[in-house]
Amino acid sequence: MTDHEHYEAVVVGCGPGGAAAAANLARNGVETLVLERGVDAGSKNVSGGLIYAEESAPYTIDGLFPEFREEATERPVTENYIHNVAGDTVKTFDIGDLHHHDTAWADSVLRRRMDSWLADRVHELTHETGGGLLTEVHVTGLLREKGEIVGVTCEELDPIAADIVVAADGVNSELARDAGLMDWEDPDEWFQGVKAVAEMDPDTIDERFDIDDDEGEAHLFSGDLFDGVRGGGFLYTNEASLSIGTVFHLDSIAEERAEPQELLDGLLTHPLMAQWLGEDYHELEYSAKLVPDSKKAALTAPHEDRLVVVGDAAGQMQAQGPIIKGMNHAVTAGALAAEAFADARSRGDPHRAGEFYEQKLHDEGVMDKLRPTSYSVVGKLGEIGPIDGVANAVAESAVGRFGVRAAEGLVERAYNSPMLVSMIPDTKLPYVTLPTVIGEELGEVVTDENHVQPPELDDRIGDLTYDVGDPHIELVDNSFEASGTAVTACPVSATDFGGGCYRDEMVQTNGHEEHLVSLDTQPCVECGTCAVVADTEWEHPAGGKGVEFEQG
Amino acid sequence: MPAIDPTEYEIAELGPKITDVDDADELHEMLELEEAGEDRAPVKTLIEDRIEKVEAEDDGELDPETVDLTEMTVADIANMVRGVDDADVLRDVLEREREGKERKSAIAQIENRIDSVEGSEEQAGEDVEYVPPEEKYPELDHPTNDKRWVEGTVGAEYRDMWVYCETQAGELVDVSKEMLGKARDLMDQYNADYDAEERVVAVLVGADASDHVEDATAYGADLVVYMEDDRLERFRHTPYTEIVTDMSRAGGELASEGHADVDWKDYHEPRYTIFPATNNGRDLSALVQGALDSGLASDCSGLYIEEAMISNPAKVGNAGDNKEFERVLHMKRPDFSGFEYSTILCIDKPNRDFHPQGASVIPGSFEIPDPDYDREAAVVEYEMDLEEEWFEVEVTEFDRLSGGVDLTGNDVVVAVGRGIGDDPTTGIELALDLVDAFEDADLGLSRGVITSSYAFDSHVEQYVTEARQIGESGQVVEPDIYIAAGISGAIQHKVGCDEADTIIAVNTDPEADIRDFSDYVIEGDLFEVLPRLTEAVEKGELAAAVEASDD
Repeated sequence: MTDHEHYEAVVVGCGPGGAAAAANLARNGVETLVLERGVDAGSKNVSGGLIYAEESAPYTIDGLFPEFREEATERPVTENYIHNVAGDTVKTFDIGDLHHHDTAWADSVLRRRMDSWLADRVHELTHETGGGLLTEVHVTGLLREKGEIVGVTCEELDPIAADIVVAADGVNSELARDAGLMDWEDPDEWFQGVKAVAEMDPDTIDERFDIDDDEGEAHLFSGDLFDGVRGGGFLYTNEASLSIGTVFHLDSIAEERAEPQELLDGLLTHPLMAQWLGEDYHELEYSAKLVPDSKKAALTAPHEDRLVVVGDAAGQMQAQGPIIKGMNHAVTAGALAAEAFADARSRGDPHRAGEFYEQKLHDEGVMDKLRPTSYSVVGKLGEIGPIDGVANAVAESAVGRFGVRAAEGLVERAYNSPMLVSMIPDTKLPYVTLPTVIGEELGEVVTDENHVQPPELDDRIGDLTYDVGDPHIELVDNSFEASGTAVTACPVSATDFGGGCYRDEMVQTNGHEEHLVSLDTQPCVECGTCAVVADTEWEHPAGGKGVEFEQG
Repeated sequence: MPAIDPTEYEIAELGPKITDVDDADELHEMLELEEAGEDRAPVKTLIEDRIEKVEAEDDGELDPETVDLTEMTVADIANMVRGVDDADVLRDVLEREREGKERKSAIAQIENRIDSVEGSEEQAGEDVEYVPPEEKYPELDHPTNDKRWVEGTVGAEYRDMWVYCETQAGELVDVSKEMLGKARDLMDQYNADYDAEERVVAVLVGADASDHVEDATAYGADLVVYMEDDRLERFRHTPYTEIVTDMSRAGGELASEGHADVDWKDYHEPRYTIFPATNNGRDLSALVQGALDSGLASDCSGLYIEEAMISNPAKVGNAGDNKEFERVLHMKRPDFSGFEYSTILCIDKPNRDFHPQGASVIPGSFEIPDPDYDREAAVVEYEMDLEEEWFEVEVTEFDRLSGGVDLTGNDVVVAVGRGIGDDPTTGIELALDLVDAFEDADLGLSRGVITSSYAFDSHVEQYVTEARQIGESGQVVEPDIYIAAGISGAIQHKVGCDEADTIIAVNTDPEADIRDFSDYVIEGDLFEVLPRLTEAVEKGELAAAVEASDD
């Protein structure tokens, strides 16, 4: 054995999954080193903004971190609505029942605040068992000996060996990719979310949403808001801001050559939003991230040798229609991975932790939530071309429409059924066609005038100014055919915009003209979109470098 | 009733606890309790697993005096002997193995165990007797045999703090000044604390070493020793190491020929040596400290001198003794990106001196002191023969990584952006023409151009480098006139030119952001506008041209 620095456990990433793993490892007396590449935990992290505690889950974030809700969250979600939009007409359903199903509580969060609070607790806990949390360390890959994973390699430190490596390094996990467990090949395994955090004082929020200061709302949006791109929008109330965002299937964004920032603007400027956003819209932060579609991407065996993978890194992000849950599953998975290591260690065979972890994910029902069997039977069938087409046609035909009108109560019930929702296939029908039809047939016209003027992309990027260091993404094939989609799909790039990451260029070479793409990683928000839609060598920037979210 | 009732615990708490239970019966009781209680499957698995393990251990309890070795694998034997502390029993096992299967690896395992059992008995509580490594391990072709100075000195005299002052491109680098300032403070305090008169000695080596004597003095040296030779223009570690080592030994027990008596040094070697933790400094520090038969604390960020109470028997001579060492340089260095600090001490052994106490210092760790050019210091030009073979490594080429192009001093900066995209080569040419029309001007570029995939013809390609970038991640310029052609004016670019007296923008889009911070905006294609500006400048009519076309 080469003489590397050794810890019993190394946890990579201090988001909720990493924090839960580290806390539970420390609680079991395991010497645990936590490595985080941001200047502060949370500075790299973005989420839509709701964290759930499920009644059926073996671990919840407040169970692992007492006072979590008092110290690290924004508002509890007390009201839930989904808005089906067709032009100016909107039909709103109360989906409180769906939301409350299996939910002990759900709070809105901003990740910088939440994760940095968690990180302080994690450091205290892990320090007691001989480890600690180190920020600004970029873990670049896996340390192998004789082909076996035995630790991690870092950009800033010498390699570190461990009996267990917990990869909680997020959706673009370099460890899961190094282990060959994840790739960036298929756009249809991913969603892309973009979000704006808008400043609003607490009294104004209470007044506009008609809630008390210990209440909050979650609104979802679907329908034809988004030029036929499959996905939807959300609005959550924070303590003194609103999180407003859109989440789309990445394959749909790519196919439609949609500009994510314009889709977000489409939501921000819809008349429906006027009642909440008012006259003076002030955007604090623009952010973006990839979201794995657990139905397709969740790893059924998220481990390899001594490596276990948790959270987004393992594709553990449940996004099924209006159910969007990621952080709670990351917490459960992280804590179960720790438990698995404690079990394995007490049996004298710490290297079997991965196997136990997989078993626990199944036993505790996590895997069935992430990859529901009802989806694999019904949902996928719905994605095959002709059937989707027929269903679309039925919904748009007179009969289909009559059906919708007659079935208003049924539709609301359907939205509130976790079972039916988990079967939703990833086609236009549930995301665009059906909500549009519902909006048209059942909706009422919104007459409010929206005065919001969203910032231009260059101002959004300007507010995210940071030091990216050396370029961390290399464009392997700069032809427009191979990588041109990034110009539109990248949330900080746009056609005819020279200040973004990706720009398309007509270049004269030796008498003929080539359509090329150029890349400047300066404005990169590290979402990973281009890793999927363009031909790149994609890595994270060095520790402490790159985007630093203040809200997240 | 077992000591632990599993139903009272979460599985995570139970895991570590259960490993303390070695009694299979007790475990069976625990299992029954769990089955009668919550009946959690993972908990049961945990207990069952433990039972299996404990029972296996019970069965596996071997008596080394009677067991049949031929039935056992080498690994079994290794595991068994690990638990035996009686050397006689082990010898008996060894004997039986030799008579039996006579497996080499098994014999080695048993012999090792005998060694470690007996070794520990011999050493306990006794004086550590010094045996030089060459005698202790005669069978080894010990690498220290080749090293001339190992065990060279015991109880010699050491004085002064030596600072290796690195120069780069004809300048004393900042870290050299920082080290001299720190050394000055440390030695002033040292002389006061110990009522001594020890000096800060600056060491300079290079082709222009004498040029830096004055600076070294001003920043705190009492004595400057320099070696100047044309062959020393570039750092090469062999000659530099030879020179610094030779200087350190001058006047001492191991002085080289001709340096036995020098009037500026009458001790063996320096008490303390400090090097910069730069590329060259790291290289040199390790080699010099090695040659001087001492250690090195590399990459330090803090230094102080203090006594230290030491109990390590290797240092104090007797196990169990404590001994106070005086005048110890405490060298703090960050581990794990500053997560923790180690303080390194370099302390003599009873049979071997560990001096100089040496450190390399991370640049920026200490303040640069204000220079005092009235200070005086003794100056010694060191003379020694430099052997040809030290220069076998030849520096054929070198590149100086500097700021490259410095745009900050120009009266005028002409910058172009992605507006040149239609014909990038011509765009750069036109901008260069305008640059030439001014007396003191240079070319700047937006980041968008530098990161583009434009194909430039070779004659302008040399201009398209990051060194010319204006903006947040490039240079910040404050010229009298800043001409921004085809630059939209992102906030990152604005940072780089905002302080210019007059900003003239040329853009096809009159609403581009650059308008917000320009004094004049000329709406138009830079391919047409730039030649006309060039013409106007040549005629001395720039102001008129710009004012006429500002919309």
